[in-house]
Amino acid sequence: MWTERSIEHEKASRARVGRLRPQAFRLPVLAILAAILPATLPSAVCFAQQTRIGNVTGSLKRGKELYRRYCVGCHGVLGNGQGENAPYLDPRPRDFTAGVFKCRSTDTGHIPTDMDLYETLGRGLHASAMPSWFPLTRQQRIDLIAYVKTFSPRFHEEKPEPVVPVPPEPPASPESLNRGLEIFKKMECAKCHGLSGRGDGPSASTLTDSKDRPIVPYDFTTGERFKCGQTNQDLYRIFMTGLDGTPMPSYLKDLKPDQAWDLVHYLRTLQMNYENSANNGAVKTSPARQPGRSIRNALRAVSGSK
Amino acid sequence: MSYWKANVSAFVGAIILSFCWLLFSPTPRAFAIPAFARKYALRCSACHEAWPKLNNFGQVFKDNGYQLGNDRDAPIDQQPSYWPVSFRITPQWHRENNNRMAVDHTPGDAASGLTEANVTASGFDLSGLDLWTAGTLSKNISFLVLPSADASGNFHFEAAWVRFDNLLGSRWLNLKVGKHELDTPISEKRFLTLTASGGFFQLYHFTATSDINSFGGIGDNQLGVELMGHSRNSYTRYAVSLLSSNNGDVDLPTNQTYDFYANVNQAFEFHDLGLQRVGGYVYRGESPTFFLTSGGAPIPGTGRGNRPFYRAGAYGIWYIHKLDFSTLYMHGKDNVFLGTGTPANQPMALPPGAQAPTWNGGFVETHYTWSPQLTLVARYEAIRVSRQAFPIGTPLPNGVPLTPDFGNTDAAVLGYRWYPIMTSRAGLAWHQEFARVRIRGAAPLTGQDETTSSFLMGFDFAF
Amino acid sequence: MKRSRLCVLTIAASILSNPPLHKGGTVSEEAGQTLVPVVRAEATGTLTGLVKLDGPAPKGKPINMAKEPICVKAHPTPPLTEEVVAGANGTLQNAIVYISEGVPNSTFDPPSDPVVIEQKGCQFHPHVVALQSNQKLQVVNSDPTSHNIHPLPSNNREWNRSQPPGLPPLEESFAREEIAIPVKCNIHAWMRCYIAVFKHPYFSVTGATGSFSLKNLPPGNYAIAAWHEKFGTLTQKVTIAAGETKTLDFVFKPRANMSE
Repeated sequence: MWTERSIEHEKASRARVGRLRPQAFRLPVLAILAAILPATLPSAVCFAQQTRIGNVTGSLKRGKELYRRYCVGCHGVLGNGQGENAPYLDPRPRDFTAGVFKCRSTDTGHIPTDMDLYETLGRGLHASAMPSWFPLTRQQRIDLIAYVKTFSPRFHEEKPEPVVPVPPEPPASPESLNRGLEIFKKMECAKCHGLSGRGDGPSASTLTDSKDRPIVPYDFTTGERFKCGQTNQDLYRIFMTGLDGTPMPSYLKDLKPDQAWDLVHYLRTLQMNYENSANNGAVKTSPARQPGRSIRNALRAVSGSK
Repeated sequence: MSYWKANVSAFVGAIILSFCWLLFSPTPRAFAIPAFARKYALRCSACHEAWPKLNNFGQVFKDNGYQLGNDRDAPIDQQPSYWPVSFRITPQWHRENNNRMAVDHTPGDAASGLTEANVTASGFDLSGLDLWTAGTLSKNISFLVLPSADASGNFHFEAAWVRFDNLLGSRWLNLKVGKHELDTPISEKRFLTLTASGGFFQLYHFTATSDINSFGGIGDNQLGVELMGHSRNSYTRYAVSLLSSNNGDVDLPTNQTYDFYANVNQAFEFHDLGLQRVGGYVYRGESPTFFLTSGGAPIPGTGRGNRPFYRAGAYGIWYIHKLDFSTLYMHGKDNVFLGTGTPANQPMALPPGAQAPTWNGGFVETHYTWSPQLTLVARYEAIRVSRQAFPIGTPLPNGVPLTPDFGNTDAAVLGYRWYPIMTSRAGLAWHQEFARVRIRGAAPLTGQDETTSSFLMGFDFAF
Repeated sequence: MKRSRLCVLTIAASILSNPPLHKGGTVSEEAGQTLVPVVRAEATGTLTGLVKLDGPAPKGKPINMAKEPICVKAHPTPPLTEEVVAGANGTLQNAIVYISEGVPNSTFDPPSDPVVIEQKGCQFHPHVVALQSNQKLQVVNSDPTSHNIHPLPSNNREWNRSQPPGLPPLEESFAREEIAIPVKCNIHAWMRCYIAVFKHPYFSVTGATGSFSLKNLPPGNYAIAAWHEKFGTLTQKVTIAAGETKTLDFVFKPRANMSE
């Protein structure tokens, strides 16, 4: 038996030690394997393909059954996003065969980690037909991840790295908001998201996703949930890794961590209706959704100084 | 002895009524709303383990007030093709048998005397029709309206309620007002058996023979308010209901009292076997023992002499991968006036040695979900009367002395449902089921065991 | 059971996709070990020629850059679309000529020089580039505005990076052969270029004169293909003898519906 809290714990401990520990641990094991069984070395590829989160290992067989039960109507038997409902949905269901995913902790162009997929599945994708599958058991969700990964050969061939580190968040201050505004301008976020974050920038109407279907940029002023998580850490990750498959690029090479945090703090101030909408949601989500007192205080200081 | 006469008529009435209920009652309607499948582009199997039986995803959707919470709940998001109404009907062939039915010796000649006969009827038939609409009126205000027709086309309001969801922004507070299904441990509206003998849980409706309790059973939809709450994944759930003591009948309340129902359950994951759920429930109600009368005829809505009854039980739903067991235990007790059918304003009329009847029962229902498109179902149910209302040996109206096992019931059901097509538009199931019920000593004349059996095959479809 | 079968498949696939080296006659023993084919110059041939268009070339249309004033300012007159760039005598620029069949089984190390794409005047320069797999690609932003470089491959990793002005060039590479990867800048919807990735060095992109030249071809039978973003792919067979220089022209015939 295993609780959601232990997953949180797992995440927290991983965040603390970074990604090094599991690999540092795995490497000697691989080395031993390689020494004993040189002929079966390619099996290391398969080893990497195994889906494991916490102490739960995904089962392909069950994952396939669950996929046929829950997912096939939209994502299709072949995982290509061509299920019977696909023509009626906007945005369209994900094509798993491309191995391209929006919500990742890895740099742009890289496959997501198992945990990324697991969290996406549990979270659902706001403003799409993809609901939260949190009601499924952890085992079921991990089985599903294991199966979904089989649709793209990338999960055999590539590793989910490099993971973009998210350093601890510094407190927000009037200065950090001002710096964030400068970064917002310099990175020209307004080209798509608009000066006030309404998603009405000059290029907004021309945007298409990787399958050439029109797509709209996020409107910060609605205060709606982001597609890839609610927390400041999630927001940091969203623009640093980019949302692959969409026009949202990665800013990893353009921003230093401090600058990225300044931008996070500034972006939160664009969510004017944020607190209203937090109560507007079907259910209240974790307190991490709240912009945080330090940002509100900083904002008050900024608007007071003007 | 006037009490005995009253009891005899109640006894005979109960026998006839219970038999009529078994043979002619419309198949209990189960909840399945393809309008939701169309609305959310999800297959039946997303919410239903095998429709109409819910899985946990469907349970959470229901507990959330028919909301997925992904910004696709408002009707304005829907395709023009979205039609928020669903129908369900079951064209079928069925066969019903009763091994000891009281019939006139010479048909048509009431004077020829009663005898017991083995009676069988079979043929093509229709179930009743459900006409569903359900969903959200606005964010966090959900509703359900279900006018339901019996097989002959007479409509009644099976359910109609509005629910205020996530009060104070909390999933632990949801208030439902109207006629609704109780938050039963194992839903009788969503199970996988349809026949006249197997299409309900005997236990949910059982009352000791000659009992005049007007409560139809916790499987019946009731009128009142329900406060329920749940955790994010509905692993923890509670529901409490305050109900008029009128068994959900849409009319003046039979009397002026209220019933109370509560159900609490907790689910947990056990290794990779699946979701296990355990819970307990209690129903405490009152039922009148007599009415105000006018010229001897009872005046509706004037029940008097209310006497209490309760049902309490515990249950567990156990999954071993594709195999699952729903297990339930229930204890029932009716007040002695209810159990003996004695008006409470005539306490002297209580037969000597009369006691409040009690009984225990339980069932095990097992499903093997081969795939989302094929599921096998089997159920065994047993009810044992632990205390008869009358002293053992008291002669029954048919002259047979009362035995301790009188009224004990055993029921078995075996069936499968096959969903040849499974889309996000409609549901179609090929249903085959056999059910058999044996009640000790219930034969109307000889006091032998009475057995009824049903066989049904047909298409159950919702669209 | 399933997993072990999968492993076997993976192994088999990895063997199949990496055929043993040293098979090709032109690959020397030493070369096989360093995985670099060393080909004696006198033993190779050369293929040159022109890529042309049969009939009148559709004219480029002025690009509307109104959404980005900086881009408008960069051009005295609006630049024309680069889908079809034809020279005098119907020669076609921005076509890629390459060996599609017959390349010796070998692994070719990528050249150490990077291929450069420059973003200037809100256009990609050049419009079509070709490089070898794992060869470095440098993307330079010379504009005073942000761009994002978003290749849309079908056989490679899809990435999408922002590049504000004044930052050092981006360096990326592509692991697998793909002809050709369209590249978008989502901020400026009109910006587009193509990146062709080859696992061998036998390719050439036509310039303004429409001419191409494939050098150091080992003698053998080849299928030579010419790719153009608008007109598709043409293929011809050719045999190259040692020391031979052959000429081969490709003529694209625009389909009727392509006049627009």
